[in-house]
Amino acid sequence: MSEIVQSEPFVMNIGPQHPSTHGVFRVKATVDGERVIDAEMVIGYLHRSMEKLAEERTYTQNIPFTDRTDYLSSMSNNLGYCLAVEKLAGIEVPPRGQAIRVIMAELQRLASHCMGAGAFANDTGAWQTPIMWFMREREKILDIFEMTSGARLTCNYMRIGGVAFELPEGFEEEVRALIGPLRQTIADGEGLLSGNEIFLARARNVAVIPPDMAVNASLSGPMLRGSGVAWDIRKADPYCGYEQYDFDIPIGYQGDAYDRFIVRLEEMRQSLRIVEQALDGLPGGPHSTEVPLALRPPAGEAYARIESPRGELGYYLVSDEGPSPHRFHIRPPSLINLSVLKEMTVGGSIADAIVALGSIDIVVGEIDR
Amino acid sequence: MDNLATDHWYDFRDLANLSRVILEGIDKVAPYELAYIVAPIIGFVAAFVIFVLPSQLFVGVYGERRIIGRIQSRRGPNRVGPFGLLQPVADALKLLQKEALTPKVADRTLMWAAPVFFVAPAVLLFAVIPFGPRMVFADVPAGLIFFIAVSGLPVLAAFIAGWSSNNKYSLYGAMRIVAMSVSYEVPLVLMLLCVVVFTNTMSLPGIVWFQKDVDLWLIFMQPLAFVVYFIAVSAELNRTPTDIAEAESEIVAGYLTEYSGMKWGLFYGMDIGYALAASAFAATIFLGGWSMWGLEQWVPPWVIFIAKTHLFYMVFIWTRGTLPRLRIDQLMGFAWKFLLPLAVVNLFLVSLERLWWSESDLGGGIVFVIAAINVPVSAVAVYLWARFLGYKPERVPTRPRLAREAGGYVPLEEPVIGGGK
Amino acid sequence: MTRWWTGEELGEAAERLVPGSVSHTTETACVLKAEHALEALRALRDDPDTNFQHLSNLCGVDQWDRFEVVYHLQSLERNQMACAKVEAHDRENASVASVVDIWQGAWIQESETYDLFGIEFEGHPNLQRILLWDGYPGHPLRKDFLAMPGGLQPGLNEFAGTSAKPEPPVRPVT
Repeated sequence: MSEIVQSEPFVMNIGPQHPSTHGVFRVKATVDGERVIDAEMVIGYLHRSMEKLAEERTYTQNIPFTDRTDYLSSMSNNLGYCLAVEKLAGIEVPPRGQAIRVIMAELQRLASHCMGAGAFANDTGAWQTPIMWFMREREKILDIFEMTSGARLTCNYMRIGGVAFELPEGFEEEVRALIGPLRQTIADGEGLLSGNEIFLARARNVAVIPPDMAVNASLSGPMLRGSGVAWDIRKADPYCGYEQYDFDIPIGYQGDAYDRFIVRLEEMRQSLRIVEQALDGLPGGPHSTEVPLALRPPAGEAYARIESPRGELGYYLVSDEGPSPHRFHIRPPSLINLSVLKEMTVGGSIADAIVALGSIDIVVGEIDR
Repeated sequence: MDNLATDHWYDFRDLANLSRVILEGIDKVAPYELAYIVAPIIGFVAAFVIFVLPSQLFVGVYGERRIIGRIQSRRGPNRVGPFGLLQPVADALKLLQKEALTPKVADRTLMWAAPVFFVAPAVLLFAVIPFGPRMVFADVPAGLIFFIAVSGLPVLAAFIAGWSSNNKYSLYGAMRIVAMSVSYEVPLVLMLLCVVVFTNTMSLPGIVWFQKDVDLWLIFMQPLAFVVYFIAVSAELNRTPTDIAEAESEIVAGYLTEYSGMKWGLFYGMDIGYALAASAFAATIFLGGWSMWGLEQWVPPWVIFIAKTHLFYMVFIWTRGTLPRLRIDQLMGFAWKFLLPLAVVNLFLVSLERLWWSESDLGGGIVFVIAAINVPVSAVAVYLWARFLGYKPERVPTRPRLAREAGGYVPLEEPVIGGGK
Repeated sequence: MTRWWTGEELGEAAERLVPGSVSHTTETACVLKAEHALEALRALRDDPDTNFQHLSNLCGVDQWDRFEVVYHLQSLERNQMACAKVEAHDRENASVASVVDIWQGAWIQESETYDLFGIEFEGHPNLQRILLWDGYPGHPLRKDFLAMPGGLQPGLNEFAGTSAKPEPPVRPVT
């Protein structure tokens, strides 16, 4: 039979323009029929050399760059960078500023996971419905961001030493009005997908990452937690006073695409819990400390990391006492989570490869920077 | 239609009278050959005006987009015309204006021919559909065979489209649609064979009259056939959850990747045309056609028929809006391992019942007994066959485990708080 | 809370596991000797006390007279973190041993460092430019690469590779 029917592998480009690459990103997949036998990723289409640019600007001027790395979670990126500078320069943030940062970071996580979970459902073929449900809630969060910082996506709200502005009038009511419907939407999305036989058939046992491999491959965020590793930087290395809040780390069962999806949904619930607690205990006082405009931190280096929606987002800064960083490095969780793409896709079919890619929840702006 | 005044041209309940009166009038004043030319024109115009055009443009496109919009908690088209009703017209005008690109490496002739090949069968399909007691354009004795044969043609057009585009995504779409069609035609035809055996006719009006005579729709007598028909036809039509030939997230648009402008518009419009034809076919065979337990005396039967068709089509839209897509190997396995044996078993069962009915001379009431037998038997057959194939309903956790503290790997056996329920 | 190791502590641990592997230590980091780096990092990963199983971050730093490759090591079970460094002094043929064998996830970060700094990683399975295209002139994150005109830290005035290469301005690091 095999002498008569012969198949020949050929290269199929998934991307750079493809509905499922979530940006300008390419997977060079060698396929044999429907089976993927090799996958190589091609990135760099969106490379803007932010790390070089940041070496020419002052510490404060670099904050807008961080918006534009992971454009789906700009607040988290602002926060990570500001934490690194504060660590480098030894700046304390007042408690109100910290609480506002926590609220913003958690709202950003909700917005980002809305997008991530919805896009994953879209990748499995649940045509637009879950993503539309989640996008509706995300719009409300973005409205709150606009109300607070004047921008929806690139918020540029955090500052070194605190946040840029005081919270606007009616902020708390808006956020509290958001929580109930968002919980309902999460439950709806879960009801639509989590118990669905077709969804289970597509996402269960697909792109399995065993826990030892997840740790060894430096994965972080929902990718690591989906494999059953209890690791959350908010718990392990609390920043901005996360130790005051009561929340749990969701962890998956076997590390497949389905586990990563349900972990994301549960993280959204936990984020809602944190937002509620932070709103209840919002302290008074100043929202920011005075920081000199031309900040010159002492020579040295600092690595600060936060739990961004995609994983461990680290900023590594080296100062040479100048007004701008000597070295500005971003540890991009999307890029490092993507490094296991080959292990996740090879051996599966093309459809599985798409599901695997969707379960990473990449943002190409952060991969290429 | 027996006890009410009929046979008048103004009896709008059956528009066949009108065309008959026109034809007889022509026959009186003109050579009779003219009637042979006018009759198909009347039939075509009637079918198109009553059914294809309004359904396809306004209910097919507009309705689908509005309903999906509601499912997705957005508004859908609401800007062009009242309630956005003119949106399909605007879409068509836009598509006509757009440039129909042809790639340099594509096979120009075949790529232009494919949409035409795709459109023609969609119009042909409506020829054998009975819209009313006498409103069938071509009362072919083997209408069912005609339908199956013609509905297999668009697959060929889709394959031509995918092959001639000279694009890898298109090729994948083309290969997938052929594989799907080959797989799902088999259970589909077997299930229709069950219907033929049971009703003892291959003519579509005959099947409707059968259902009217016994006062019971075939969906109750042949539930398994109906379910298999729905699954198989949605696979052939490329509707979600089985739209792997145009799987947007995997192979961009499948065989339509390189198409643009009205060439794409023809494919898109006729996709809905095929979906409506399949719905009309389902309404004819399984939902009693134009009959509605006497209601057809008061309401024009073609209105009942169109309502049933769109009810069925609504289910298509509903599944499209809610279900994820299956993988190709899962779909193929489902067709060959699950549907095909069930179809064979059903055919055997139906043949036995038909034999019993014709031998025992029990009259028409026996169909209620048969329905009462077939509904549970079908459910049990599905369940048993699924168990035999090794499918066990398993409780998959829908919530992850929760850990209080960060640390390393948490083994599955280790109890954590609030663990997955 | 994560325990952040000082350079001293990491130096002691590395010296205990692989004697003679530490070049010197700073306040935050421990600089490993290039020839022992691979061995020491592997030992740091496998030793139950250090247990640095998770390579959090890998990046390069141009310190004008040398390149540093910075490893941020992390232990998930013991919740501790440390920073190790390896230096490459040869600017033209900078080369450091690859840690892909130790941490699988390092490959993409090493590729990025190679792309942007021009540091070769020996033993890397597939070392090629990932962000920039092949044949791109120069490595952008080097300090002697083109900087913005009037920038705070002047670099080249012309695009690297387009004319005779001027000497990199070497500035001593305090």
